[in-house]
Amino acid sequence: MKVDSTIAAASKPANSQAELLFEAQQKKQRQFRTGVTATWGGLLLILIYLFSGQNFLGIQTIKLDYEFMQKNVVFIAGGLVETIKISILSISLAITLALLAALGRLSTFPPIYALSTFYVSLIRGTPLYLQIFFFFLALPQLGIVLSGLISGVLALGLNYGAYMSETFRAGLASVGKGQREAAIAIGMTPIQTMRRIVLPQALRFAIPPMGNDFISMTKDSALVAATGFVHEVMWRATRVGRAQFNNLEALIMAAMFYWVMTLILTYVQSRIETRLSKGDR
Amino acid sequence: MAPVVRITNLDKYFGRLHVLKNISLDVQPREVVCLIGRSGSGKSTLLRCVNFLEEPSDGSIEVDGIQVHSHGRGKEHRDLVHEVRLRTGMVFQEFNLFPHMTVLENVIEGPVTVKGMDRTEAIALAEENLDNVGMLFKKDEYPARLSGGQKQRVAIARALTMQPRVMLFDEPTSALDPELIGEVLNVMKKVAKDGMTMLVVTHEMGFAREVADRVLVMADGEIIEDAKPNNLFNKPKDPRTKALIDRYRTGGG
Repeated sequence: MKVDSTIAAASKPANSQAELLFEAQQKKQRQFRTGVTATWGGLLLILIYLFSGQNFLGIQTIKLDYEFMQKNVVFIAGGLVETIKISILSISLAITLALLAALGRLSTFPPIYALSTFYVSLIRGTPLYLQIFFFFLALPQLGIVLSGLISGVLALGLNYGAYMSETFRAGLASVGKGQREAAIAIGMTPIQTMRRIVLPQALRFAIPPMGNDFISMTKDSALVAATGFVHEVMWRATRVGRAQFNNLEALIMAAMFYWVMTLILTYVQSRIETRLSKGDR
Repeated sequence: MAPVVRITNLDKYFGRLHVLKNISLDVQPREVVCLIGRSGSGKSTLLRCVNFLEEPSDGSIEVDGIQVHSHGRGKEHRDLVHEVRLRTGMVFQEFNLFPHMTVLENVIEGPVTVKGMDRTEAIALAEENLDNVGMLFKKDEYPARLSGGQKQRVAIARALTMQPRVMLFDEPTSALDPELIGEVLNVMKKVAKDGMTMLVVTHEMGFAREVADRVLVMADGEIIEDAKPNNLFNKPKDPRTKALIDRYRTGGG
């Protein structure tokens, strides 16, 4: 114990070797980030310029129908509400199913294990596009009529639940046996062990890939437009684009909306990762 | 005086492998009992049976008057096992601190979550125990920033804060760099001196000799010798005990 306090005291002076190394590393990282940001800015400007309609050094850039864009931007943006609604409902369903399926995969009771693997195999073995139509067009034949929104949410939730269960399973498996034993030894029940010790550690492991899945799903929500009854961003863009043969402008606007949503989600994801990574160093 | 731990006719099988053979053992209050033996002799399994990390195949375990039979099933059995676990503190070879919690959070986790103790009260108790093991100055650090010896001292404080009747140590220094073993053994000596009943699986012959009241030698799932350390180390009765001690002597242990 005495040894520790001497080491602590010795590292007090401001310019220990470790601190200088850390400082140099920080500086290098800052420079790298500045370079990346500047290049992003440049690429963005080039992209905007490409669609500016200007003639530059004999290169005619693409001219967009701004009048059309102005007139329809609000209509397409109106689809964001539906897109976000579908995404949130689907991800909630997906997380629930994924957690159940992942726990099922860890079960030593054969029927539970089989049920979980069967679900994952069936859903991953068929296209998402087909699943959406199955709920929307095939079920009515059996007397089950679902709205476009419900069909979309069910299909997306089931589909991403199957994929995310693999992520969850890996997360749960990443928590060592010793962690469970330590929890049990201080008298925790299986539920307390799961909630307080295993899940927080598993989630930390699973959050980055989960974020990717969520971002991916937000874009896949565009497939629900195919039902023709959910007026989300993609449906609205194709509708006005086709009607006035301004598909270029309409799809560019929709693309920008999806991109911005993705950027926001990526930012949120990185914030959550930082918060969860406490204790790593 | 009633024993704190009473193991009666304990058997443990892993499939067809008979790892514990009809073991009976009493540990008296304030007694420090060291379990030594070659790896695979069953000493860790015996220790892990005491708090039911391993379910015994036959026999019974009694801790602080709570008796649990190996064939128990259902809620009543689970409740008894829980009572036993509340009365035993366990220290693992690999420390097993919770990496997502600070040192202090690790130590108050048991009292708060399991016992429902008031947080302020738990913190006071935890800080007292952290101070005892010399780790109070790191209470807000995460385990990843501690040395192995420091982690193990925190693990000891975590077990002590549950206020157990007996502490179980499962090779507490085997995963440590040689220069860190001393600090952990010193803390264990202190815990023993404070009157804690201890059951220690160890390869540290020096510790067994100096601190133990009794040393048990295990081989092939049986206790082959049970004696005061002086008698055992100077006049081992069983040739296997002699071989074990000689091995550590020549190995510089």
